[in-house]
Amino acid sequence: MSSPTRWEIFWRTVMGRAYPRVVGMQRERSWLFFDTVLPLLQVSAFVFIYRAIQAPPEFTGFVVLGGAMTAYWLNVLWSMASQFYWEKETGNLELYIIAPTSLMAILLGMAIGGMVATTVRALAVITLGLLIFRVEVSIVNVPQLLGVFLLTLLALYGLGMLFSSLFLLYGRQAQHLSNLLQEPVFLVSGFYFPVRALGFIAALGASVIPITLGLDAMRQLLFPTMMAQFRFVDVRIELGALAVLSIGFLWLAKRALSYMEDLSRREGRLTIRGQ
Amino acid sequence: MSTELAMKTEQLSRVYKAKKRKARGGEREIIALDRVDLEIPTGELFGLLGPNGAGKTTLIKILTTLLAPTGGRAWVAGVDVAQNPREVRRHINMVSGGESSGYGLLTVEENLWMFTQFYGIDGETARRRIRELLEIVGLADRAKTKIFHLSTGMRQKMNFVRGFLTNPEILFLDEPTLGLDVQTSHTLRGFIKDWVGKRADKTVLLTTHYMYEAEELCDRVAIIHDGHILACDTPGNLKKHLQRGVVFRLRVTAIANPERLFQHLRGVQRFSHVEVNGYTELDFILEDENALPPILTAIQDSHGELISLEKRDPTLEDVFISMVGRGLGEGGGSAGTTEGAPR
Amino acid sequence: MTRQRAVESTRSLKMAAWLGWQIESNWATPFLFAIYSIAKPIAGALILVLMYMVIAQGGVQHPLFPQIFVGNAFYIYVAMVLMGVSQAVIEDREHYGMLKYMYVAPLNIYAYLLGRGVTQAIMATVAVLIMLLFGIIVLGIPMPPATIDWGMLFAAWLFGLASLAFQGIFLGGISLITARHSFYIGDAVAGALYLLCGAVFPIDVLPKPLQLLGQALPLTYWLEALRRALLGDGAGQLLSSLSDRALLLILAGSMVLLAVLSIGFYRWAENRAREKGLIDMQTMY
Repeated sequence: MSSPTRWEIFWRTVMGRAYPRVVGMQRERSWLFFDTVLPLLQVSAFVFIYRAIQAPPEFTGFVVLGGAMTAYWLNVLWSMASQFYWEKETGNLELYIIAPTSLMAILLGMAIGGMVATTVRALAVITLGLLIFRVEVSIVNVPQLLGVFLLTLLALYGLGMLFSSLFLLYGRQAQHLSNLLQEPVFLVSGFYFPVRALGFIAALGASVIPITLGLDAMRQLLFPTMMAQFRFVDVRIELGALAVLSIGFLWLAKRALSYMEDLSRREGRLTIRGQ
Repeated sequence: MSTELAMKTEQLSRVYKAKKRKARGGEREIIALDRVDLEIPTGELFGLLGPNGAGKTTLIKILTTLLAPTGGRAWVAGVDVAQNPREVRRHINMVSGGESSGYGLLTVEENLWMFTQFYGIDGETARRRIRELLEIVGLADRAKTKIFHLSTGMRQKMNFVRGFLTNPEILFLDEPTLGLDVQTSHTLRGFIKDWVGKRADKTVLLTTHYMYEAEELCDRVAIIHDGHILACDTPGNLKKHLQRGVVFRLRVTAIANPERLFQHLRGVQRFSHVEVNGYTELDFILEDENALPPILTAIQDSHGELISLEKRDPTLEDVFISMVGRGLGEGGGSAGTTEGAPR
Repeated sequence: MTRQRAVESTRSLKMAAWLGWQIESNWATPFLFAIYSIAKPIAGALILVLMYMVIAQGGVQHPLFPQIFVGNAFYIYVAMVLMGVSQAVIEDREHYGMLKYMYVAPLNIYAYLLGRGVTQAIMATVAVLIMLLFGIIVLGIPMPPATIDWGMLFAAWLFGLASLAFQGIFLGGISLITARHSFYIGDAVAGALYLLCGAVFPIDVLPKPLQLLGQALPLTYWLEALRRALLGDGAGQLLSSLSDRALLLILAGSMVLLAVLSIGFYRWAENRAREKGLIDMQTMY
């Protein structure tokens, strides 16, 4: 039997690591409630804030869309960035390291596997949110919308891989850093309001987080009239920036994973548990 | 490095720097491995025997690319572990004792299949190997059981299978029978011996602090203590070194301060003691049998009572005692030694 | 027997509080820990501030803003205490593998869980204080100490915190019989209650059925009591007919009810977990 090629190992690893995520969710379905009904209630809170201050109806749409995208941000933080910490604690990380595969493949598998539940959550929030609150959307350009969404995810998961390389070195800091990144990113990326409200410079800085540009672009494509006064930059510029971020983060993630693995090996941190 | 060698280390060292408590400030060094030289040819079942904290796991971690050495070099399958860890991983696998790895919600079969995918093994081959190996270790009827329902022994059997599934050239077994019952340990040891015995191109590095395990399985054994290799030879040759002496095991009622009692007696090369269920067990390596009566007199004089006396063939533990001055299972216990070198 | 139980409970509470502090505080330098404690609540506050600035007439001078800000500040307790208590179950079970030993030991599991939540409550208190100071100093929210009803503030705070702790036990019971994706159950439930309890808008704005749900939540009355104590006035009309005394009585009564319900549910969950062998289950995926 011939030895498997590097690509064969890569793709088999992706499928192998995605499997526990997909199967795990089916075997214990309580997440269906926690990840759909409860986030929808949370989004509704922000909708009612805007209603209390008599915001235009399009702002409801902004919030629903932002709420849906939180699913992906939380998935990146909790199921990717700090995942290696959990794997280290259970002893799986060392088994991944000694296998002739790459950590990028492991992470990609986690991302794909986790995306099933994440997408269910996002779709539930969007669909129910738009229906319940009767939000009207006018889609300007479907291919652009799809392109923005897919590139946002690609860049976002690239960022998640980069984070996971940093967290490889850390113990419980990893979990707390993920926690720390939750609300501040909700703020600066404009999950619940147009990011332009932060000012151009702040919004530009926040654009390093792919969801900032992705949300702004998607809002422009779904609510063109209202976003005319609140948009950050043109959709085409945002598309281009997202493409650059995707490539950049994936490349950085690969370098960082390799560097962090070497550093962890030198400092003897790859197998430390209970930090 | 010759490719007939599965593993080689040259002056391999690993030093940890640990921070001292705040009041004392600074750092202290912990030398886990100290200039270790080893050569393990292909096809050998090599044992690394030593007490807890000797450096066995540190050595395995370096050879399996989980830890970088701070000095010296190491090669596995002809590849430098520090320079090219990714290439090393194509040739190895590892099983550790007391593992809790795997995903609780997946079945035994699913967990094992997942790990084969990290090695690029095609589905059909993976499933066939899983079936065969589960059958051999007696887990076939648990293939569809979720692993969080498994007992510790069953989980270790599953981890065992995981190590062999990928058919590695070099397999690292780090205290693989730790915490397992007698029957399970026996089954797994039989499996290891069989696997290596039938495959001339396979090499196993086994670490253990059970000397009978090393004696039963290993072609050669290295005795490691405090990061140093004290001796490396076949179990038989190692024990032959002791045949210049006579080994006695005495069980006596608890006696205070055995070191003071026996350390000045003529003919006592080495001894160790351990408290067991209210008794004191004394292991002596004597020049000859004439050294025994003064020992018995000393016990009587200290109001101790002799429960049993046994003359036995030297074991690897005796070899260890003769080199280190205490038993494999003893923690910080002191050992008696004669003044100066063994007489 | 009673004395022995009291000793066990006190020991469990103290030990768990110490353990909780060790777990929460030893992961970072004090400086980073301080940043972490400040950044999160301030970011949460600023989301609200920006929403008002973008849309509301008058921005942070909008008449509703002080009530909403105070509600949002104290809401920090909700997520942190609910998470602190409920996550202890999953952490101890899946991460540290210690839950089975807690069950084998002669400790009071309720006191233990409450103790684990103590650290989160302390961190939440610091965060709330920082936020209130931010509101007073930076945003100009009027809260002169002379006008604060300290008695009402303390009573409401105490009853509310205790209620949250018991709700945390309830969620801990759910965690006991579900897989580890309920790790965020505290956070998720807090997010859902955000809608119904009037934390960030008066419940008058909600549709009638949701208003009724909101009025059934102790949390709603808690936030109303805190607002009245600090600002002299609550938010919205629906609760304005209730006197301060009535509010405090509702809070005290609901605290007792929650204690009974949550402990009862946790007991049921424990039995179920024992029957199904879930106390030491591992569900990582």
